[in-house]
Amino acid sequence: MARYGNLQIFLFILPATVLVGIFVYAFSAWNVSISLTDWRGLVTSIRFVGLENYLKLINDPIAQKALINTFLLAVTFIPLTMLIGLITAILLCLELKGTSIFRTIFLLPLSFSFVISATMWTWMFSPEQGTINSLLRLLHLDFLCQPWITSTEQSLWCILLVYIWQFSGYVTIIYYSGIRSIPQEHIEAAEIDGASRFNIYRHIIVPQLKGETIGVLTILLFYALRVFDLVYLLTGGGPALSSEVLATYMYRMTFNQNLFAYGASIGTVIFIIALAIMIPFLLLSRRR
Amino acid sequence: MDKGRIFAYLITIIACTLYLLPLYTMVNVSLKSPEDLIWGPVAPARRLYFNSYLQAWEKISEPFFNSIKMTVPATLISTFLGSISGLGFYRAKFKYKDLLLFLIVLGFYVPPQAVLIPLVKFLADIGLYSTIAGLVLTHVAYGMPITTLLFKNYYESIPKEILDSAEVDGASLTTLYRSILLPLSLPGFAVVSIFQFTNIWNEFLFALVLGRGRASQLVTVAIANLKGTTLAAWNVQMAGAVIGAIPVAIFYIFATKLVIKGLMAGAIKG
Repeated sequence: MARYGNLQIFLFILPATVLVGIFVYAFSAWNVSISLTDWRGLVTSIRFVGLENYLKLINDPIAQKALINTFLLAVTFIPLTMLIGLITAILLCLELKGTSIFRTIFLLPLSFSFVISATMWTWMFSPEQGTINSLLRLLHLDFLCQPWITSTEQSLWCILLVYIWQFSGYVTIIYYSGIRSIPQEHIEAAEIDGASRFNIYRHIIVPQLKGETIGVLTILLFYALRVFDLVYLLTGGGPALSSEVLATYMYRMTFNQNLFAYGASIGTVIFIIALAIMIPFLLLSRRR
Repeated sequence: MDKGRIFAYLITIIACTLYLLPLYTMVNVSLKSPEDLIWGPVAPARRLYFNSYLQAWEKISEPFFNSIKMTVPATLISTFLGSISGLGFYRAKFKYKDLLLFLIVLGFYVPPQAVLIPLVKFLADIGLYSTIAGLVLTHVAYGMPITTLLFKNYYESIPKEILDSAEVDGASLTTLYRSILLPLSLPGFAVVSIFQFTNIWNEFLFALVLGRGRASQLVTVAIANLKGTTLAAWNVQMAGAVIGAIPVAIFYIFATKLVIKGLMAGAIKG
C-alpha cells in the first residue's frame, strides 16, 4: 500500500483550499457583512444598519434597470452564441479547403482581451467615421446607417453583438470536435437511407452533442454571470444608463461614488444570482 | 463542385470577413498617418506609417513590462500549485473530498464583484494594494479552482496502473509527483500555463481596481486609458491595442492546438 497517508494528501490540497477559502468564501462573507453597514469612503465611523442597503436596492430604479439588462444580455447572449457557434462548426466540418485557417479566424476574437475588442469595436460602431456606417455608405445603403452605441435603444444590443463575436469561436471549436468524434457509420447509414444533410444534422448529429452542449453552457454562463468589461469599456453603462448592468453599477457605486456598503450589497446580489444558477447547473450536469 | 459546396464556401468566406472586419479596422487604422485618418477606417492605409507604433509604445511600454512581470510569475505559481492540489484531490480518499473539490471548483464561478471590496481592503491592509505582488497573489488565488480542476482531470487521463504500481512500491506522494507525474504531465503543464497566461494577461477588472499608480499599471488598463481620450490620436490608440494583443495572439496562431486543448478542458464540467 501507499506509504503516504492523509497527512500528505492534506499538505497537497492545502494551498488551493486555503486560497479559495479566504479569497472566495471568506471574502464573500466579509462582503455580506460590509453590506449590512453604512460604510462609505473616508468616513471613519461605521454603523451597522441591517438590511437598509438591500431595501434601498429593491426600490432603486437604476438597480432594477441594471438587473433587467443583465438578464436580457444573458438570455440573448447564450442561445445566440450557441447557435452561431454550431453553424460555424458545421461549416468547418464540411472540410472545405482552408478549414484550419477558417478555424483560426473564428477563434481569433477569443484571443483579444476585452480592452482590445472594445477599442476595435468603438471604431466599428462610431456613427460618423465608424467602419460599419462607412461600409454601408460605400455600398449606397445609407438608409441602414445606425447610431449604434450612441443610441439608448441600441447600445445594449451592440454590446451583445461584440460578446457574440468574441465567444462564438469558443463554441465553434467545442462543437467542431464533438461532431468529428461522432462515428462516421451513423452518418453514412443515414445517407444511404436518403436523409437530407439538414435532417442528418437535426436528427443524428445535434442530439449526440449533449456533453458538448453542457460544456458550452458552463462556459457561456461563466461569462454571462460576470458581464462587466465590454459594457464598462464600450458604453460605460450609457448613454443615459441604457446599457447599465449590475456589475457596472456596482463598480460605479463603489469606486466612483465611494458608497462601499451599497456597492457591497450589489456584489452580494450578484453572488447570490451566480450561485443560484451555478450550483443546480453543476450538480445536474455532473449527474450525466 | 456542386452547388451546395459553393454555397458553403460563400457563407464561410462571408462569415470570416465579418469576423475579421474589426481586426482589419484596428490594424489598418494603426498604420495610417494623421492626414490619412480623414479617409476613414475602411480605405486602406495609403502608405504604411509606423510612427503611431513608436508613439503608442512610448505610452504603454512601462505597463507592458509590468504586465510581463505580473503575468509570468502568476502563471507559473498558479500552474504549479494547481498541479500539486490536482494530485492531492486525485489521490484523496477522505470522506468529504468530493464536497471540498466542488466548493473549490464553484469558486471559479463566483463573479469578482462579490469579493472586490474585501479584496481591496485586504490587500491594502497587508500593504500589497497597487503592487505587482498583490496582483500576482490575486490571480494565483482566483486561478486555483480552474488549475486544480484541469490538473485533476489531466491526471485521470493517465493510465491508473502506472501510479498504482508505484504506490505498491511504497512511493511517497512527493516521489509520485516528481518522478512519475511531472515527466508524464509536461503537455498538461503547457496547456494549463498557456490557458492561465492568456487569461491573466487579458484580465481587466482586477488590473483596473488593483493596479493604480505607475508601478503597477498593466497594459490592459494603459490601452483602455488611451482609448476614448484626446490623449492619443486614433492611429496611436489602435497601434497600442495591436501591441497589447500580440503576446496572446502569438499563442493562438502558433500554438493553436495547445490553446484549443486548454479551452476544451476549461469547458469540461467539474
